[in-house]
Amino acid sequence: MTTTKQKTTKRLVSVLAAALALFAFTERAEAQQILLTGPLAGAPAVRKLRWHRKGRFEVAPAISFTLLDEYQRTILMGARLNYNFTDWLSFGAWGAFGAIKIPTHLSEQIQDVNAARRQVDPDSMYRPRQLTAVNLGPNFEKQLGSMDWVVAPQLTAVPFRGKLALFQSIYLDTDLYFFGGPAFVGLTERKNCDDCTSPSSFDMTSRMAIAPTFGLGFTFYINKWSALGFEWRGLPFSWNTSGFDTAGGGKDKKFPDNKITNDDRQFNFNQMLTVTYNIYLPFQYKVSE
Amino acid sequence: MKSSPIGLLVAVALGIFPAQSWAQAKAGGKVTVAGKAAATKDSEGVIDADASGSAAAGSDAAAAEGAPAAGDTAGDAGEEVGESPTGSGLDDICKIDPAACPNLDMDKEAARPLKEQIFAVQQAYALRVRRFELQAGWSQSLNDQFVSHPAPNLALNYYITNVLAIGINGQYYAPFNLDKDFNAQVRRAARVAVPLTEYQWGAALNFTYVPAYGKFAGFGDFIFHYDAYVVGGVGAMSVRPIPVIDPDNRNFEYQTKLAFNAGIGLRIFFNRWFAAVLEVRDYVFNDKLESLTVSKIPGSGPNGAGNPNTWYGETSLTNNVQAQLGAAIFIPFSFDYRLPK
Repeated sequence: MTTTKQKTTKRLVSVLAAALALFAFTERAEAQQILLTGPLAGAPAVRKLRWHRKGRFEVAPAISFTLLDEYQRTILMGARLNYNFTDWLSFGAWGAFGAIKIPTHLSEQIQDVNAARRQVDPDSMYRPRQLTAVNLGPNFEKQLGSMDWVVAPQLTAVPFRGKLALFQSIYLDTDLYFFGGPAFVGLTERKNCDDCTSPSSFDMTSRMAIAPTFGLGFTFYINKWSALGFEWRGLPFSWNTSGFDTAGGGKDKKFPDNKITNDDRQFNFNQMLTVTYNIYLPFQYKVSE
Repeated sequence: MKSSPIGLLVAVALGIFPAQSWAQAKAGGKVTVAGKAAATKDSEGVIDADASGSAAAGSDAAAAEGAPAAGDTAGDAGEEVGESPTGSGLDDICKIDPAACPNLDMDKEAARPLKEQIFAVQQAYALRVRRFELQAGWSQSLNDQFVSHPAPNLALNYYITNVLAIGINGQYYAPFNLDKDFNAQVRRAARVAVPLTEYQWGAALNFTYVPAYGKFAGFGDFIFHYDAYVVGGVGAMSVRPIPVIDPDNRNFEYQTKLAFNAGIGLRIFFNRWFAAVLEVRDYVFNDKLESLTVSKIPGSGPNGAGNPNTWYGETSLTNNVQAQLGAAIFIPFSFDYRLPK
């Protein structure tokens, strides 16, 4: 019994000694940290930082170009409004409408083929036309889904601030920001139908999709009150971009069912590049210590 | 039980060591040295802000404020040092080696016109001149909605000047081409087939020009440097059509095409030899597409469906826009600055 007690005491003392030694090492490391710091200890990383954002409103007319579109490209005109609570955090919204819609080369090719097929007498039982009767209306380009407008309230974080030297002669203040929020997207798509071969089944209808939106951008400050911005935005959601019957039947509803339904909406990781011209109000910025 | 007191002694001894280290860090040794240095500038205790910052290093409060502690520190140090050591140091040199004694007419020297070229930035964070840059990364095609072409890539550049480099790069696409479901859907729904192309590899000789550099403060706390470059070159790409019009008969071989490229990139330095690279580059080549028509003559005769000469259709100038994310290592790891800071 005594031996057991002695062993326990021994172990306790050893553990205590080890713990003290560990504490001692930690203190020593802290001491080295102090040695490494110099006369700028405690000084901010940047002095006299120009706060281009803090306490200012940002009005930014914007033009956005959609990327990697399968059937139709959209150019959206709009603006971004932000209030910058601090130099690194702001809240606002981006809104735009689809001003210009340009069919892709693929859409033009499909329509060319479609138009040629439609030259054939509809009663002649022409096979290609029969097979595409559900999917191709009189004018394919008019059945394409389109993005009509977008409103996106968003939170913007600006973690990186800096400057850029161009050819050692032009110097610009810059920042890199990230943003995110919900987006409300006005869409025009081919309407749902059961008998989808009649001309009226190719009519279009509008709906609103709600989707997440996020992205990042660069700001290049031209002067005290204006800047140029470039940003990339992701806007993923499902929609029927072609007006095709692609799903709804067969195993797992992955095959055509000769109807246009919500199942025909395919997931698209919609992307766009935006160019902005930012105006900051009030016109004068503040400067840090 | 006998060893317990030894353990306790070790613990106490270890506990004492940190206190010693702490004392060394905060000790006035540095203050004295800095104070002496300050005193050499002005024995009456007037020091500029930078010097006083150094002088105040021993005091946390003074260090944070920079200048305020300077007068006192320098005053004290001045009393310790006495006469300015600068003059006596020169005298000593002249006594030891008269040949090394500076013999300058200061008025004449001061009147000489200064023609020294001053650059906007005397010491960029990372010099590139006469260094190799090894890049490795992963790229993803940005503009092909039909077939995606991701690829690992490597590049080696040599910087002839600080802003101009010559180099080579290459990508290996072959196992990563991805024919998207969208193509099959279009074929099924519209009975329209789009000619598709897959890539095997690409390689190019390039020139890189670095017109812009800058720095960012992250969260107002740490600073990192970056530069932006433009790159362009000429090389080759090995490509072939994916048979979609007549897959039963057609089996294409890879063919090498002349390819030009141009792009822009951003390099973010983590230290003076390691950086992250983000690059967008367009590789342009003349692509031979699959023929949209199928010969009705069976077999591999002159005009037969099995004759490779009947498989190809029109040619098309194709853009392969790739976004690349990777890392760059500069060799040698260190360098010397030519200009003072």
